[in-house]
Amino acid sequence: MASSRKITLRSSDGESFEVEEAVAVESQTIKHMIEDDCADNAIPLPNVTSKILAKVIEYCKKHVDASKAEDRVNDEDLKAWDAAFIKVDQVDQATLFDLILAANYLNIKSLLDLTCQTVADMIKGNLFPVRNEWLNFTFSIANRELVLVCLTEWVAHRRLFCS
Amino acid sequence: MDPSKSRDSAESTRVIQFPNDVLERILSLIDSHRDRSAVSLVSKAWYNAERWTRRHVFIGNCYAVSPQIVARRFPNIRSVTLKGKPRFSDFNLVPPNWGAEVHAWLAVFADQYPLLEELRLKRMTVTDESLKFLARKFQKFRALSLLSCDGFSTNGLEAIATDCRHLTELDIQENGIDDISGNWLSCFPENFTSLEVLNFASLSSDVNFDALERLVSQCKSLKILKVNKNITLEQLQRLLVRAPQLTELGTGSFLQELTAHQYEELERAFIGCKNLHALSGSWEATTLYLPVLYPACTNLTFLNLSYAALPSEELAKLVAHCPHLQRLWVLDTIEDVGLQAVASNCPLLEELRVFPADPYDQDINRGVTESGFLAVSLGCRKLHYVLYFCRQMTNAAVARIVQNCPGFTHFRLCIMKPGQPDYVTNEPMDEGFGAVVKTCTNLRRLGVSGLLTDLTFEYIGRYAKNLETLSVAFAGGSDRGMQCILDGCPKLRKLEIRDSPFGNGALLSGLEKYESMRSLWMSACKVTLNGCKMLARQRPRLNVEVMKDEDMDDGQSYKVYVYRTVAGPRTDAPSFVHTL
Repeated sequence: MASSRKITLRSSDGESFEVEEAVAVESQTIKHMIEDDCADNAIPLPNVTSKILAKVIEYCKKHVDASKAEDRVNDEDLKAWDAAFIKVDQVDQATLFDLILAANYLNIKSLLDLTCQTVADMIKGNLFPVRNEWLNFTFSIANRELVLVCLTEWVAHRRLFCS
Repeated sequence: MDPSKSRDSAESTRVIQFPNDVLERILSLIDSHRDRSAVSLVSKAWYNAERWTRRHVFIGNCYAVSPQIVARRFPNIRSVTLKGKPRFSDFNLVPPNWGAEVHAWLAVFADQYPLLEELRLKRMTVTDESLKFLARKFQKFRALSLLSCDGFSTNGLEAIATDCRHLTELDIQENGIDDISGNWLSCFPENFTSLEVLNFASLSSDVNFDALERLVSQCKSLKILKVNKNITLEQLQRLLVRAPQLTELGTGSFLQELTAHQYEELERAFIGCKNLHALSGSWEATTLYLPVLYPACTNLTFLNLSYAALPSEELAKLVAHCPHLQRLWVLDTIEDVGLQAVASNCPLLEELRVFPADPYDQDINRGVTESGFLAVSLGCRKLHYVLYFCRQMTNAAVARIVQNCPGFTHFRLCIMKPGQPDYVTNEPMDEGFGAVVKTCTNLRRLGVSGLLTDLTFEYIGRYAKNLETLSVAFAGGSDRGMQCILDGCPKLRKLEIRDSPFGNGALLSGLEKYESMRSLWMSACKVTLNGCKMLARQRPRLNVEVMKDEDMDDGQSYKVYVYRTVAGPRTDAPSFVHTL
């Protein structure tokens, strides 16, 4: 069995996480850093807090384990695990948004897809807690069509916005 | 400030600060145009991300916006759905040459969307020149769907078949076109393989069968095939054998005489189509060979018999073989006894449309009655869409029907003789429709008929909170009726009214509402030119169009079409359309 190197990742708040290289390179960003030989000491991740990094590592570990020959997990089970991982009442929305930003920064495609799809589903299901900023905008005459079309759609879609 | 609200606004600010590529990634996962419209209102960043990622645009009224404005807002469109004439044009209420020409749109698209792949048109005017232009200018064009369009001929289809190298869909339905010859089908190139959808059921010219057979065997991805009535049963068998992967089939005529051997072969061909879930066809009266369909019926979810005037016994036998049926379109030759068979055999039914075989036949002993509808509501508890043409109805029956099926989203009841009361009590049908709107809280579309006073409209305005489309004909007592609709019904989008006593007072009571709707149509009502002018003056962002019938002079001859628009008054209006 090949020995797997351990990589140390340091979160923005100074916490260190030791992970196997196979797990760390689920992140293309980290993979490139390792390839560029920047990984002798701990890899600093100034954009990711320890709380989020812990979750990201949990995700990557699961996905690496899922593809190992001896522990092969089938697609259905992995999807179910992903769904539980991202379920909104366990992962509160602040965490969800932080996960998206982390997945984007760390370039972990599958996690980015999962989190973006979750947000898209929330939007479709009107669960999106965004307050409309409409009233704060001033639009120029050139945007006249935006004003009319939005105004009428705004009336129709008032339910999307919390009040 | 409420702490949860401050958290929400903190959240909302954070979300808006997503990097653009993340935002676009999220928004690319959203397809519904309504969701996208809502998303585009969140903030300027979201508006921009949404417009860059939109691939499909739906334009419910081609005059509400101009192609230039669409192209300016959405740079990456690949698929367009456009609807033109108001729906009452189906009943010949819109004069010919009214407009809704697609060519101006195609000209802009050729410039701005050269990679356009799909075009779906409903009630638009399409010329052969437009079809030739389409085929020539869009190299990646894949899907063309024309529903209730007019202005073209089969010559235009020739251009599509010849030049669209990547065509996957050609869907020609119910169009008023010039059917010159079936030669267009032979225009597909010899090695053509990409077709997935081919629907020419409503064309009447003969096509070259060898060309069709070759096309079907080569297009291995063909899923939907609807042939016209010139295709015989024997030819159908040959097609089915080459395309057992079909999911939707429209048969040709059932009039041919078959030998025992041919019958067996046809039956085997149907058995071989294991993925068939939708069946339609222009089957003439002979029912001798209907049993050949029975094996295919087990998996059917959609059965469209609206072109088959079959007797009720045969229809009853047929539906008895369709336990998984979800949608059924029939003629009223099915009669109540046939509907009883539906109720007994099709518990999963969600949609029922019963069309009149002969709408001008006044004989009330033909067709379906309230009993048939009632039976279906008892046996099919998932029913939520009904279009029902009948000659008699009672309030009590309607009330019981919606009690059995409170989940109606579309309730379109057409008592064929205008102004007909409840035939048992002789009262107006107010209470029946009142029961519909009180019970069916998810109702989105309503078509009313029979003798109706303003009370019906009071009920609708008060209870139909999710109603989006309302069709009214020969109903109501005074302006108050229409006013109740415009004051209630917060989600109303389309209101079409004919031959009803609503006048200027009613028209003007909707001043606050019309900009939140797609359109209003009123014909043979009591509005006058002055009323329309007043509306136009007070609402410059609406197009108020008036069409005058040449023969009549008084105020009741106006047809009024009011719709919101960002494109200003029509520049292509014919002489009989006056924009006020």
